[in-house]
Amino acid sequence: MTRGHVITTFVVALAALAAAAPPASLSAETTRLVTTSADLKALVEAVAGDRVEVESLTTPDQDPHSIEVKPVHLARLRSAALVVKIGLDHEPWLARLAAPQVPVLDVSKSVRLLQTETPRLRVERRAHVHAYGNTHFWLDPRNAEPITGAILAALVMLRPAEKTSFEANRDAFLHRLNSKIDEWEAALKPYRGTRVVVVHDSWAYFAERFGLQIVAAAEPNPGVPPSPAELAALFTRMREAGVRILIAEPHANPALVRSIAEKTGAKPVTLIPSSFDYIGLFEDNVKRLAAALTTG
Amino acid sequence: MVELLLWPFVAGLVLTGIHAYFGLHVLARGVVFVDLSLAQVAALGLAVAILAGHSVQSEAGYWYAFAFALGGAVLFALARPHERALQQEAVIGIVYAVSAALGVLALDRAPQGAEHIKQLLIGSILTVTPQEVGQLALLYGVIGIVHVIFRQPLTEVSFDPLLAAARRRRVFLWDVVFYGSFALVVTSSVRIAGVLLVFSYLIVPAAIAGLIARRLVRRLVLAWALGAALTALGLYAAWTWDLPTGPAIVTAFGAATASVAIGLSVPRLTTRKVSTFAGVVFALAGLLLIAFPDMDQPWLDALEDAAPSVQTTFLTSGERMTRLAAVESIDQARAELARLRAIEQDVRWGKIPMEADKAERLRQYLVGRTEISAGDQLVLKQLRRKARARQRFGLGLPLLLLGAGTLYAMGRRRD
Repeated sequence: MTRGHVITTFVVALAALAAAAPPASLSAETTRLVTTSADLKALVEAVAGDRVEVESLTTPDQDPHSIEVKPVHLARLRSAALVVKIGLDHEPWLARLAAPQVPVLDVSKSVRLLQTETPRLRVERRAHVHAYGNTHFWLDPRNAEPITGAILAALVMLRPAEKTSFEANRDAFLHRLNSKIDEWEAALKPYRGTRVVVVHDSWAYFAERFGLQIVAAAEPNPGVPPSPAELAALFTRMREAGVRILIAEPHANPALVRSIAEKTGAKPVTLIPSSFDYIGLFEDNVKRLAAALTTG
Repeated sequence: MVELLLWPFVAGLVLTGIHAYFGLHVLARGVVFVDLSLAQVAALGLAVAILAGHSVQSEAGYWYAFAFALGGAVLFALARPHERALQQEAVIGIVYAVSAALGVLALDRAPQGAEHIKQLLIGSILTVTPQEVGQLALLYGVIGIVHVIFRQPLTEVSFDPLLAAARRRRVFLWDVVFYGSFALVVTSSVRIAGVLLVFSYLIVPAAIAGLIARRLVRRLVLAWALGAALTALGLYAAWTWDLPTGPAIVTAFGAATASVAIGLSVPRLTTRKVSTFAGVVFALAGLLLIAFPDMDQPWLDALEDAAPSVQTTFLTSGERMTRLAAVESIDQARAELARLRAIEQDVRWGKIPMEADKAERLRQYLVGRTEISAGDQLVLKQLRRKARARQRFGLGLPLLLLGAGTLYAMGRRRD
């Protein structure tokens, strides 16, 4: 076989592979949406019902900041009618998945952000890694209202005929959510003003909603272990202030969590930052937190 | 300080004890990266354990990791006789890359483990517990005894393979023993200290000792002393300068290697070499300052920080006043910010009672004050740029001439 033959065979094989691959663009009847997180998928579905197909690029288990981009992601994104993202610097990997023809809805524009000030003079290492504001705003359930509002507007642009149905879906969801929020607030009301320490700085919105006071983050920069002096100061502060609760994520460094719990007597409670079930997420977290606060 | 750093230090001693010894072997065999490779294979084993439904911290996870590392060890022993056809380092590198890639593929199916494995490779020696150190010491004690009992064949196989062959040692068997016990050590150490630190404990003390001493026992004792001293130094630095512990110790190891290398090369230096080097440095610095005055010149920044007159001589008297005012204001702001931040922290932690809106006003004030101070910094930056434009020829040209002159003089001396 000559070199020309080899190349021809290779090209033909590639073409065959490409033909055999699942078609990237699907029938125009179903509108396909892509979200960057499980929570956004849940919120889009709450508005859209079964009228559109929604896929999330990440699962709740993954660290949303660092995703290994796969070909399937690219295909899904290119064939989507709309991409819904958290925004700010939450999904740095999305920039490399550019699909310029697909419109993007940045829901961070619809909510009130926390921690937007960026200290430029670094006097000390601070519990602050978010350059444009804390991105974990979906963890305040009241933010579901503006977020679904933005989603509704975008969906109506896509399928104007179904405006009333979308609106009805959203109203029903918000009604259900709001009555739940009242329950959650009631469950945590006795503990308002309780001081807590978090491992990572992702609970600002949740704490604000339910009246918890976050006094420090044990690992201000995720992945960079705290220095001995920092840790010693944290231990002293926690003992002095009598902080009883340490909020950790499922992927927090277990050695660090254990060490803080042992040295200070604080009770570690693992809260879940993301889920495909938006209401279930808070139901679960509130239950865990209330249990820890009662015994702690 | 002692309360917090005692167990990390003891852990460092235990790690030094076994790794300095293995390091001598590894250097003699010329397989420096075997440790990183085995650690990566162990991480792959852990990823597979997660896929099989075990948690990262579980016993099963540890045994999966060890079994995989042992597999890698056998592979290295198998590859050794074929050194001529395929270098050991190549095999080690391939195993490293492929197991890292396989680990990513495995974790793609079980993403909840990715963070834990990442943490495992970073390690957290600061939060080590006495129990962990005890278990490690026991295990390494046993491995150490085994190696003392079989020191004859193990040493020969590593340090003098020709002699081992002449004596008809079963090289493959002893290679498996060596790499197998090494795999066990690496799997156990990385869990506590992380890849970077374990690698440093393995290579640095043994390498430095090799530069200074010839006999094996002397090298070992020297490596132990070095490992202990550098661990203490790294921990002290982490405490004093508020640094993450593991990276601080690794940096201490790096600094020690550099100082020994410099120390050993100083006696061999001649005036000629030093002058030529200085000439090149001066000429290059001057040239860069003339060609790109706006470029970052860290050496000049450092010089100006140490001796402000290097900058102020190039400023007008008005500019000098501005500079002085800005510096003063930054110092004041720094002191005030530090004081207010301490108060804010006390309020936050409930040590000082303060009404909520007053506390919020304090927070807002801190943010604003920081911005004003950032403005002063900007003024200093602007002045530095102005001075640079004048230093371009006022300082760059003399430097270039000095460097070129030195080089010219050195060139003439040869003739």
